[in-house]
Amino acid sequence: MILNYLAAFVMAIISYALIDNVILSRFYGICSFIGVGNKVKSSLCMGAAVSFVIVMAAAICYPLYNFLLVPAGVAFLDTIAAILVIACLVMVVGLVMKKFLPALYQSLGIYLPLITTNCAVLGVVSENIASNLDFGMAMANAVGTSLGFTLVIFLYACIRVRLEASSTPKAFKGIPIALVVASLMAMAFMGLQGIGA
Amino acid sequence: MTILWSVLILAGLGLLFGTALVLFGVLFHVQEDERIKEVEKLLPNYNCGACGYAGCHQMAENLVSGKEPMVSKCKPGKKDKNYDPIIAYLSTHPDPDGTVHVPK
Repeated sequence: MILNYLAAFVMAIISYALIDNVILSRFYGICSFIGVGNKVKSSLCMGAAVSFVIVMAAAICYPLYNFLLVPAGVAFLDTIAAILVIACLVMVVGLVMKKFLPALYQSLGIYLPLITTNCAVLGVVSENIASNLDFGMAMANAVGTSLGFTLVIFLYACIRVRLEASSTPKAFKGIPIALVVASLMAMAFMGLQGIGA
Repeated sequence: MTILWSVLILAGLGLLFGTALVLFGVLFHVQEDERIKEVEKLLPNYNCGACGYAGCHQMAENLVSGKEPMVSKCKPGKKDKNYDPIIAYLSTHPDPDGTVHVPK
C-alpha cells in the first residue's frame, strides 16, 4: 500500500517535471523564463527561488484551503488567499536574499518581486485544488513542477549563452532567436508525452 | 454569514502575514546609506522603470554611489521638483570619505 503510494509519488514528480513540463507544455512562467534565462548563474538562482516559493505555497495553501476555507464555506476565496500566501513568501525570499546575497538580489532585479505574479506558482496551487489532489500528490506536483522549472530555465540559459557567442543573422539577434530556441525546446519535450501512457 | 466569514478570514490572514513580514523585516534588516532613502523621497516614486533600473530605490542607490551620473534618466521627473532638489541634496551630503557625487 505504502509502496504503491510511493511509486505513484515518484511517478507524479517525473511526470510533472518532464512530461507535463511547467514551461514547455503547460506554458506557465514564461516571463521569468525569457527574462532571466540569459545567464546560467542567475537562471539557477531564479529556479531555486521559484522552487522555494512553489513548494512552500503548495504546503501552506493545502491546509489553508481544506481546513479553513472549505469548513467556513468560503472555498471561493481560494485564489485571493493563495495570492496572499505567495506574495508574503516572495517578500520573505526577497528580504533574505537582500541580506545574504546582495549581488544576486541586484542581478535578479525586478524579476524577483515578479515571482508573485509568476503563473507557475499560482498554477500549481489552483491545479492542486481543482483536481482535488491529496497532500502527498499536491506536494509531488509542487516538487515536480519546481524541478521542471529549474531544469528548463537552466538548459535554456546554457543554450542562450552559447548563442550569444555564435553569429546569428542580424534580424534574429537577441530575443527572436531566444524565442525560436524556446519553441524548439518545447517540441523536444513534446516528444516525451507518449511515455506516461 | 458567508460575507462575515470571508471578511474575518481574509483580515486574519492579512494580519498574520503582515506580522510575519514585519518580524522578517526586523530580523533581516540591512543597514543602508541614509542618503538613499532621502534621494528616493525626492524621486517621483512611480517605480516606472523608465530609467532602466528596477525601481526608484535602485535608481537612488546608483545616484548616491555615483554610478549613475544622469539624474535626468528619470523620465517622469521634473527639473524643479525632482532634479534640482536631488542635485542640491547630493552636493551638500558627501560620502563618508568626503567624495561628492553630483549628478547632472
